[in-house]
Amino acid sequence: MAAQLYKTTSGRLFHAGQIAIITVGLPARGKTHVARSLCRYLRWLGVPTKVFSVGNYRRHVIGNASSLPHDFFNPGNLETAEARHKIATECLQDMIKWLQEGGQVGIYDASNTTQDRRKEVHDILISHNVHPLFIESICDKSEIIETNIRSVKITSPDYVGWDPEEAVKDYWTRINNHLEHYETINDTELSFVKMINVGERIIVNNVKGYLQSRIMFYLMNLHISPRIIYFARSGESMNETSQKADAELSLAGKHYAYTLKNFLLALREREKKERKEQGWDDDERMLTIWTSARQRSYQTAKPFLDEGFNVYHRPSLAEINVGEADNLTVEEIKAKFPEEYEKQQKDPYHYRYPRAESYQDLAVRIESIILELEYEKNDVLIIAHESVLRCLYAYLFDRPEDEIPRIVIPRNYLIEIIPSAYGCRETRMEIVDTFVHSVPLLADLSHNGKKSD
Amino acid sequence: MSSRSSNSRIACVMVGLPARGKTYIAQKVCRYLQWLCVSTKVFNVGNYRRKLHGAHQMHSFFDPSNEAGEIARKEAAAEALKDMLRWFEDENGTVAIFDATNSTRDRRSFLLNHCKKHDIQVIFIESVCQDEDLILQNIMEVKLSSPDYKDMDPERAAEDFRARISHYKEAYETITESDYTYIKLVNVGSQVVINMIQGYLQSRIVYYLMNLHILPRSIFFSRHGESIFNLMGKIGGDSDLSPRGRKYANALPKLIHEHLGDQPLTVWTSTMKRTIQTAEQLPYPKLQWKALDELDAGVCDGMTYEEIEKKYPEDYANRDDDKFNYRYRGGESYRDVVLRLEPVIMELERQQNILIIGHQAILRCIYAYFHNNPHDELPYIKIPLHTIIKLTPKAYGCAEIKYKVDIDAVDTHRPKPQPKSAKQVVNGRSSIASSNPLTNVAS
Repeated sequence: MAAQLYKTTSGRLFHAGQIAIITVGLPARGKTHVARSLCRYLRWLGVPTKVFSVGNYRRHVIGNASSLPHDFFNPGNLETAEARHKIATECLQDMIKWLQEGGQVGIYDASNTTQDRRKEVHDILISHNVHPLFIESICDKSEIIETNIRSVKITSPDYVGWDPEEAVKDYWTRINNHLEHYETINDTELSFVKMINVGERIIVNNVKGYLQSRIMFYLMNLHISPRIIYFARSGESMNETSQKADAELSLAGKHYAYTLKNFLLALREREKKERKEQGWDDDERMLTIWTSARQRSYQTAKPFLDEGFNVYHRPSLAEINVGEADNLTVEEIKAKFPEEYEKQQKDPYHYRYPRAESYQDLAVRIESIILELEYEKNDVLIIAHESVLRCLYAYLFDRPEDEIPRIVIPRNYLIEIIPSAYGCRETRMEIVDTFVHSVPLLADLSHNGKKSD
Repeated sequence: MSSRSSNSRIACVMVGLPARGKTYIAQKVCRYLQWLCVSTKVFNVGNYRRKLHGAHQMHSFFDPSNEAGEIARKEAAAEALKDMLRWFEDENGTVAIFDATNSTRDRRSFLLNHCKKHDIQVIFIESVCQDEDLILQNIMEVKLSSPDYKDMDPERAAEDFRARISHYKEAYETITESDYTYIKLVNVGSQVVINMIQGYLQSRIVYYLMNLHILPRSIFFSRHGESIFNLMGKIGGDSDLSPRGRKYANALPKLIHEHLGDQPLTVWTSTMKRTIQTAEQLPYPKLQWKALDELDAGVCDGMTYEEIEKKYPEDYANRDDDKFNYRYRGGESYRDVVLRLEPVIMELERQQNILIIGHQAILRCIYAYFHNNPHDELPYIKIPLHTIIKLTPKAYGCAEIKYKVDIDAVDTHRPKPQPKSAKQVVNGRSSIASSNPLTNVAS
């Protein structure tokens, strides 16, 4: 949980009510990707959100695919209809109970492919004063479906121990069983969103409300193209204790900037070669660099700029504002603001020093960056301050808010993050001289005559 | 291919029958993007038509079987298109809005091909309205006051306009071109179709369009009551209200009620003492936004202007030279503030009656959004203390009423200094990093 504009004692956004997001679509259409991504985003916004997956309930109650009759999922199979309905209802009831106990957005992850079923779910939710929002995933490109089956579905617990080709075949059968019973949403009274071919086309019907509007914008920016996000800290500046000084990079900081550039470019070169050897012929993605508008951040990107890379200054990436604690050591803070210090220790996420920002404020501030990052199809290196990278990291890895102020983003490390359908993978690498490209001598860097202290 | 989404040029091409709110949408998008420092311009084909062929054309001019009319209208569109392409090339434009009916597939394909040749992305924005009342309302409010119907009997004008619409209806083809980038808004957003969006800027435009509504409402602004720092001539800080400021806070509830009646209202404040104290007596739901906090003056926080001039003479001079872009050392510029206020504007568009109790620089930025003030004027907009400003959005622009409250306060406004003979030496701090989140590449 993180950034929330206005929190009430109930923990819910007061003007949003309770919302159920109901996924709709055939198997392997990316429903779960949408459900999980949305969940991560809303939790980061500070909205109590939880996914209720009928698939998981079914696995829990009945077991995995190998122990099921082949046409268990076939909506035409009346023998298993009762069992399927029972599981789906149990899951729905649990979600309603959770919403009543303080949840705000429940995500009901199931296929819900028939009009009758949707009507039933809709009516139950309305009777409990929950606003339903249907999100239908439609895909008519078999290559997207096939990729999804191979990368996600056959690695699911259902297919442990299966021959991959057999598993793919079985999954297609599962889809085909659904096909003849599938009815797309056409009731314009309902509040719904149709996502066609992973956002190529989006149809939004009768969607109103604050959170719903945020959800829409998020869905518009979501994509599944492969890409890489890199995090690196800004280099050391000439004044590490005062934010307001907005000091330039120190000599060591400048050296770090060159080393970072060489290290990252060498890394990308190596990974490109490896991919080629493995037979991937994916297009090469451009690298863009985002920095804050503080000197130590954008000066760290200078070596990239000199090599012709696009560097964007984003004022909203500025470090957390420490307010009146600027230029003070921890000891000095304790002495000057004893009460504040204690409060901050108790709740480091929400607490705001005098004139300062809390981590929550920071998270709200960088929300537009999150959306832009979701949209971005190029590879991105973000050179920023530790507090900012903590918040971004927490979003990507779904970390709870009380952990955010303690997430470690060390200097001299490059964090490589690869988003995938259900989450992100990270690799941390120490930034060392690669000796592939030359690093200017320290003496040359100091040509402006300024000394580092 | 790698995308170069961030530096692309975009033409928003409006689509729809007359009186579907196309010009309203075009103007709003233009205002929003200009405010966000994206260079944007509307090219309204109707204006070109009036310039080339005069206003007062009766509906028969728009009849597709009227060959002369057809040629004349194409001429106007070609002229507008030419100007638009010239604007992209010569003035480095980023987003152009081509405001015309563009209601046939042929027309759209023609425009798309022309733009493609010039490396301009096209997003079609179609407005569909099936609500006859809404269309009629639009005709009465907007169309009849257009130069086309100057000095004409309203009844006759309305009739002529409806005849004009029916000419377009004959040939109208709604967008179904599945390989085009488009957004289709049906009945003011009750249904929206979004197709093939390319680029984050386009996605932002679409999100903005989805949040617009046309329900009547008012937005009230007030600065906080006079603060202790105001009295001392200091900027920034987080001081309490002065005794006169408290008087203002006490007077507010009655004043707001006078001008709002019993309508619902939500009050937004910053997280600073002086705005929270000003809102204290108001009997409405209140929300605190960190994004509404006053412009951060960095190292100059808590100083008087005289002190700043003495201690940071260069910065002081630079600020007067280009106040919008000047970023206080370790603090913010007006440009930075505009960006951080973007979510506030988005939420304002969605909401109905709102009262914002804010700060001078913040309210200047929000005010400029509604009145489309250019950025060099923005930092000098007068937002006096102890005054309520009421804005009522209209079809084009905003109606404004100011209520001065009879409680004295200091004047914190500093007028724009007279231009000096030689341009100030820029020490590098003020001009760097004046970047735009949507378009600019730092250089």
